[in-house]
Amino acid sequence: MSRFFATGTDSESESSSEDEPVVRAPAPVYTFSDDEEETKRVVRSMKEKRYEELEGIIHYLRNHRKIKDFSSALASFEELQKAYTRAAPVVAKEENGVAPRFFVRALVELEDWVSSAWADRDSRKTLSKGSSKALTSLRQKLRKYTKDFEAEVAKFREDPDLPDDDEEHKDSSSSDESDDEEKVKEKPRARRSPEPPRRPPPQDDESSDSMDWGSSSSDSSESSDDETRGATTIRERFLKRNTEREDDEEKDRRKTKIRRDRTVKVSKKDQADDGGEWETVKGGKGAAISDKPKMFAKDSDIDAALVVKKLGEISAARGRKRTDRRAQLELLHELRTVAAQHNLGDALQLKLRAATVAALFDYNPKVSDAMKPEYWSRLVENVDQMVTLLLGHEDMVLSENFTEEQEQLVTPPFQVRGCLLTALERLDDEFTKLLKECDPHSNEYVERLKDEVRVSALIDRVCQVVERDGTPQEICRAYLRKIDHLYYKFDPRAVRKDLPPGEETTIKKMERFCKYIYAHDETDRLRTRAILSHIYHHALHDNWFQARDLLLMSHLQETVQHSDPSTQILYNRTMANLGLCAFRRGNVKEAHGCLAELMMTGKPKELLAQGLLPQRQHERSKEQEKIEKQRQMPFHMHINLELLECVYLVSAMLIEIPYMAAHEFDARRRMISKTFYQNLRASERQALVGPPESMREHAVAAARAMRRGDWRACLNFIVNEKMNAKVWDLMVGADNVRAMLGRLIREESLRTYLFTYAHVYASLSLRSLADMFEMPRQRVHSLVSKMIINEELLASLDDPSECAILHRSEPTRMQALALQLADKVGNLVDSNERIFEKQGSFFQRGGQQRGEGRQRERPREGWNRRTRNRRRDDERGDD
Amino acid sequence: MSYSKFDLTFKIGQYLDRHLVFPLLEFLAAKETYDQSELLQAKLEILSKTNMIDYVIDIRKMLYLDEDTPEDIKSRRGIVLSQLQELQDAVEPVLRLMQRDDVMKTVETMRDPKTLINHLTTNKEFEFKVEMIDSMYRLAKYRYECGNYVESASYLYFCQLVMSPTDKNYLPVLWGKLASEILVQNWDGALEDLTKLREFIDNGGAGATASNMQALQQRTWLVHWSLFVFFNHVKGRDLIIEMFLYKPLYLNAIQTMCPHILRYLATAVIINRSRRNALKDLVKVIQQEAYTYRDPITEFIEHLYVNFDFEAARRKLNQCQAVLLTDFFLIACLEEFVENARLMIFETFCRIHQVISIGMLAENLNMQPDEAECWIVNLIRNARLDAKIDSKLGHVVMGAQPLSPYQQLVERIDSLAVRSEALTSLVERKQKTRNQDIRWGTQEF
Repeated sequence: MSRFFATGTDSESESSSEDEPVVRAPAPVYTFSDDEEETKRVVRSMKEKRYEELEGIIHYLRNHRKIKDFSSALASFEELQKAYTRAAPVVAKEENGVAPRFFVRALVELEDWVSSAWADRDSRKTLSKGSSKALTSLRQKLRKYTKDFEAEVAKFREDPDLPDDDEEHKDSSSSDESDDEEKVKEKPRARRSPEPPRRPPPQDDESSDSMDWGSSSSDSSESSDDETRGATTIRERFLKRNTEREDDEEKDRRKTKIRRDRTVKVSKKDQADDGGEWETVKGGKGAAISDKPKMFAKDSDIDAALVVKKLGEISAARGRKRTDRRAQLELLHELRTVAAQHNLGDALQLKLRAATVAALFDYNPKVSDAMKPEYWSRLVENVDQMVTLLLGHEDMVLSENFTEEQEQLVTPPFQVRGCLLTALERLDDEFTKLLKECDPHSNEYVERLKDEVRVSALIDRVCQVVERDGTPQEICRAYLRKIDHLYYKFDPRAVRKDLPPGEETTIKKMERFCKYIYAHDETDRLRTRAILSHIYHHALHDNWFQARDLLLMSHLQETVQHSDPSTQILYNRTMANLGLCAFRRGNVKEAHGCLAELMMTGKPKELLAQGLLPQRQHERSKEQEKIEKQRQMPFHMHINLELLECVYLVSAMLIEIPYMAAHEFDARRRMISKTFYQNLRASERQALVGPPESMREHAVAAARAMRRGDWRACLNFIVNEKMNAKVWDLMVGADNVRAMLGRLIREESLRTYLFTYAHVYASLSLRSLADMFEMPRQRVHSLVSKMIINEELLASLDDPSECAILHRSEPTRMQALALQLADKVGNLVDSNERIFEKQGSFFQRGGQQRGEGRQRERPREGWNRRTRNRRRDDERGDD
Repeated sequence: MSYSKFDLTFKIGQYLDRHLVFPLLEFLAAKETYDQSELLQAKLEILSKTNMIDYVIDIRKMLYLDEDTPEDIKSRRGIVLSQLQELQDAVEPVLRLMQRDDVMKTVETMRDPKTLINHLTTNKEFEFKVEMIDSMYRLAKYRYECGNYVESASYLYFCQLVMSPTDKNYLPVLWGKLASEILVQNWDGALEDLTKLREFIDNGGAGATASNMQALQQRTWLVHWSLFVFFNHVKGRDLIIEMFLYKPLYLNAIQTMCPHILRYLATAVIINRSRRNALKDLVKVIQQEAYTYRDPITEFIEHLYVNFDFEAARRKLNQCQAVLLTDFFLIACLEEFVENARLMIFETFCRIHQVISIGMLAENLNMQPDEAECWIVNLIRNARLDAKIDSKLGHVVMGAQPLSPYQQLVERIDSLAVRSEALTSLVERKQKTRNQDIRWGTQEF
């Protein structure tokens, strides 16, 4: 199957129908096939008649051709056309409207003949008038007519060497005439007749024959037919290159089939008819397992080599279009039982398990869909068994580096070909798909999620195996899987102070795994993912500094846009969490910095891969949607978006509001946070503002209260029962966060108050300020001092009276505007000078400027691209 | 003593050579912070891997008063001496050569090691062979281990001259030279070596920067070793700021490997009055690393420049004094530190306040009111402070008045006209030159 997927996506759509026989197969099969046989016979007589007619004409045509009788040929051709029109309904019914091959062949031959005759000018000239006229008209008519069969003709021309079926056909029709064939013999022929058209266009036939295929697959003689067909499809694919080998193989296979058939007969003598066979099917799952017990000849010595050979046979059918995947599974299972019965060793068991796992993966034909839960748990079982086997034997190694020849299945040290890690990775991916498939709010999701423990345990065990005999790179891969299952989980033990000794918190574990990956990974991708997960995990546990340092040291924010989407998603998730962590720790500015980039776009949902948003401008194509769906995070890993937005808005408020107050008259004031600003503006435009309902309204209302310097109202808007339930209670250490919010809101309100109302005071008593904002006097003093030092507040403290004396130098509106103007003119002169300096390289200016911006930024400050962009905007503004 | 928790000797010791740890231990012994016998034990431990046998014997005598020196130590002494002799014999010609001043002079004038070697080998009189360089290096190392730093330094100097920078021993030679110079307290030489070593590491010399990890380690070592130089050399105080704070590579090394170095950086910034502008950067670094390292000195800066909490800053200043007293590197600049720290507090104070009561000031500066008044008067007299003392109320009144908006405006637009004019004239001149060369002029636009 896998080969199939690699080739193209169209196979996916068709393969959906392939599931059907599996469901439909069991009981009605036999009646169905009987019916079919009867109808077949009726159809055949009708069809044969038409075909016979056609064939007769073609025969004549051929004769005419041989004697170069153009006028007769023309007549025959016209006859042929008519006959074919008559046969058309039959063709349409039987062959899906695809012209039968012998017909096409005739057409092609005729065409070739005509064109060669046409090309031969000399002989053409010698023709009689009537003949040449006939040739001309034949040529034209033929040309017109073949247009309708262009596809078939092209197909035919691709490989005209295929055994022409009209012989067979004739054969069958003749046998039909004789009418004395037995049932068994007749059937394959009857089935064979619709075969030719099936070959050319692989898409059309799919649905129709998969149906009658499933119904007849129980017939063992049929399956040999099946294989020839499989061979021909392969041959089609490889054209003529390896036909000989194919044929040999085919022969071999036929032989084995025949042998098997014989065994059927031997073993099933007492069971007279087909129905008897059914009763032997244990589990009764598939239709195709009828030959299950005849795995080996009854008396043959079963040893490892034989089993391996058998396994080779089974897996040779793997990936074929016609292979019944379920039957394969059953066969493998049976083979394993046989191997176990004969004590053929654990290495062989391992090999068989590996093959089973591969077959299980094959079972699900669609890459995008999840496999069925029961199959998935069989998969887990099998992989688990593999691990148990591997762990049980020190000297057993499973690796993809061994070739089939190097395998050591009988004598230790055992060497088995296969890859546990790949199986594990796919298993894990399938698990994620399974989760994504079910509704996250249903019980089903919870049930599925319970399996996560199983997966984690399995990964742990696989890690043990890989640690034992894997290369460092493989260990890295295994660890990364481990990390993937670890990083988003909050470990309550990690924040506890009194940790019982010897217990390893997830932080420690993460540290261990990540460090290994940092040291040993050779591909950058694993390391990047490990770092991001590590940061995420630290952030989750409020280890703000470690998380920050790790991010800054990795310099990921500069390179992440070049990485693959899933890593970018992880980066976004990490940044979101880092922002939350910064906020919890009271680092509002950093929180804002982390979140701004996510929230700016207005679609954090998409950036975090937590759901698709309908797109307005352009519709997503199906492919696009499928790909995007695959990237989505399973629900239990989601980050609460409302929480994220609230944190963002509150931190934006704490930064933006004092800034707005300070720069009321400043021309170069810029928006720190656009989203927040828009929300605020929208609310201010409203004529009537009702009491806030949603989280966003609360944040905006709080911001407006803060602008007035009313810290109490602001705090009430941010921290109240509604908001607690919606947002704050979701945080770890919610009480600390609320206390922090209270403190920060007071401080920023005080600053806003000072900025806004300083001009109405001559002096301000620090004491009364402290009372007003319910803050310790020391804190007020420090805040005011800081504002004075930074020249935000033109005042100085009068120490003996504990007052801030405000200097009457707040500019009037006029003065402020004049200052602005002066600033602008100053900038103009500056930029003039700059331009002059750069004149030599005028055209590179843009590039240089950008480079400058980057240089000026020290890496440790470089929070994210957002700030850089802003800075660049600034520079542009200056110009 | 309670301040031993701020003692960095052990942290720093990890990054120093055995021999360099001695001065630190001596210092600790003198301070009597730790138990004497423990210190002696530590010394013995260190010496065990060196060849300073006599010293070992001395210490053993001090530690185990009544015990005799074990035989193996005595015998080791003999071995060490014979080995030394052996090594010395190997490089006899070079040693003789080094005795001759005239030869050394010519040697020093040659900058290129290749020509130098050429000169030495071709001249039969010197009996110099290339292999001797390695022997010389070994001898120097041995000498160093025996504690003969002066000889070691001179031998290494010679090695340095002869070796090409790609030699595998070049880096060890540089390190050895630096260590020897430090130990003989030749600070000029040490500073020179330090610069050489730094350039070598930064330029990715052989062996120094095989990987980023190694480079980081080398830098960390260099940062620690350089402390000896910076706090003893006259120019060290500028250089330390330059190297630790403004060389991103070293700042990174400090931040990732040894944030405790921030103490020395902070002290250097505080005592360096002319580099006040470095404070801002320092504050940033200190804040960033506050979670991994804090001690009274960094906290002092934090209180003063981040929180503007003068009370806490004053308390920290008290602690700082105690810490400085127990720090090997900083004890020399205690006075300066206190003076400058006071000045910093006062300056900040003045910037914020209009009127300060002398009493409060004195309290914040850890001074008696009279003393404080005297101090302020001195400041005013030296024209470093625009203020008046209101002796009746005991207040200091600041003189500076803020600019009126009008003045601000004038100030801002003052230079504009001149600048624009200069620019126009420049443009005109350029235009003229371009017109002379039309070919280029037309192409450019």
